[in-house]
Amino acid sequence: MDITVNHVTHTYQPGTPFMRMALNDVSVAFPSGSFTSIIGHTGSGKSTLAQHLNGLLLPSTGSITAGDLTLEGGSKRKKKKINFKALREKVGYVFQYPEHQLFEETLLKDVAFGPINFGVPQDEAGRRAKACLELVHIPSAFWERSPFDLSGGQMRRVAIAGVLAVQPEVIILDEPTAGLDPRGRKEIMDLFDQLHRQQKRTIIMVTHNMSDAALYSDQVVVMNHGSLIMAGSPAEVFSRDEALQRIGLESPETMQFIRRLAEKIGTPQPTLSAFTMEDTADAVLKLLKGDAAHV
Amino acid sequence: MFNLVIGQYVPMESLVHRLDPRSKLISMFLFVIIVFLANNWLSYGLLILFCLASITASKLPFQFIYRGLRSVFFIVFLTFILNLFFTNGGLLLFSWGWLHIYLNGLIQSIFISFRILVIIVITTLLTLTTSPIEITDGLESLLHPLKRIKLPVHEFALMMSISLRFIPTLLEETEKIIKAQAARGSDFTTGSIKSRFKAVVPLLVPLFVSAFKRAEELAMAMEARGYHGDEGRTKLHRLVWNNRDTVLLLILAIMTIALILFRY
Repeated sequence: MDITVNHVTHTYQPGTPFMRMALNDVSVAFPSGSFTSIIGHTGSGKSTLAQHLNGLLLPSTGSITAGDLTLEGGSKRKKKKINFKALREKVGYVFQYPEHQLFEETLLKDVAFGPINFGVPQDEAGRRAKACLELVHIPSAFWERSPFDLSGGQMRRVAIAGVLAVQPEVIILDEPTAGLDPRGRKEIMDLFDQLHRQQKRTIIMVTHNMSDAALYSDQVVVMNHGSLIMAGSPAEVFSRDEALQRIGLESPETMQFIRRLAEKIGTPQPTLSAFTMEDTADAVLKLLKGDAAHV
Repeated sequence: MFNLVIGQYVPMESLVHRLDPRSKLISMFLFVIIVFLANNWLSYGLLILFCLASITASKLPFQFIYRGLRSVFFIVFLTFILNLFFTNGGLLLFSWGWLHIYLNGLIQSIFISFRILVIIVITTLLTLTTSPIEITDGLESLLHPLKRIKLPVHEFALMMSISLRFIPTLLEETEKIIKAQAARGSDFTTGSIKSRFKAVVPLLVPLFVSAFKRAEELAMAMEARGYHGDEGRTKLHRLVWNNRDTVLLLILAIMTIALILFRY
């Protein structure tokens, strides 16, 4: 399902002393089957943008098209009733610290909560819940236990399973790895990578982690003070190091490493982009051999 | 959804903001008491005038206070209706079956509505112009004499400031969990009463869990920073009583006398 954002502006608490413009004329497209990362500072409007994509927030002006549904901003909206439920069934949302949303007596019940809300029959919901718990590597011994007995990382994975069980076409992730250890982070990111590659799900991820953004996405969207600064492939975006630094963001560590190395040995800055360890090693070899200008 | 302004401090620069919290607290309590002295148009006019003057002096936009009042309009309306039908006497204005509306009832219900409204406006104004910390400092200082009879004044003040401090946090958290559950297809706004009631469970459980967790973390963080009650504890912000505070109390005193005189 394609999602298109057209000139969307969002103002929080209009008409009060707390009024604040969180999005300013943002236009961006999330094509079906793509993996997009939204990066930017805290308070740059990343999460606000993400919450528009499944109708949790509605635009003040502008519009959002998701599949065959259009969310209009401003006065045009009130006239017709929007079928949010249909939209949210197709666009899943994993919130920041999703473990805070667990509430059921058992893991299975909690994961089945979403599908049941969307009208999936009880036994089918149970089947999906089991499949999703397996997908996030929760051993079946835990399935009948309370979610509050689990560790933080396990709770996170159960909460993610709860969103996956709805089988959304588009999955929005708001900092899915915040507060996890490196291993937990890799597990979660590999899971989403697999969902993207094997099941062709569209993934939209809000993140602070430049390496994750570079490694996994097809498109990187950079936000600053509610405006969209740039959008493009990771190679395009992270080659504009100065523009990123101006708004207080850094390139992935691999790119920084290559740039520093080039500086140190006095060769011109390479134009290549390397995000994985292997690519970085190749780039370093080329730099040391002195033919970096050609790569 | 969260247009409840009560308990939400708006940091601004104004005469009302600068007043000592103690004078504001005393005035508010006095005001709430003397509201009950009012029994005619003149005295209600005086009370409303005081409210309008306070709002003007606080520089808060009227519209903002109105927004906060919207959530209590139902209560005002309900008391209005109840008083309208259950107060007898005076001219019969309207009657239908067993329902009767008398002139006294109409006047009485208008008065009562104004009574509730002015009380809410003044208390809202206090919390809008006074930070929770100022309020508790003020209360603690006002109640200090009660420590003589072994009342845990400091602990009460602390409990109050913590509760006030966490109202916005909990509201934010509630909003977040509502969104998270809505994204999982939970529906709070449509369906039968029973299904709506059931939809609240996925909201309340996470809210309580996080509130308890937060309380525990806060207690530990306070202990880690050496909190040990008020024995030998100094204040970061000393309260200062200025002339304007005395003037405010004088105004309230004059109003009290005026209201007593207007009664007869």
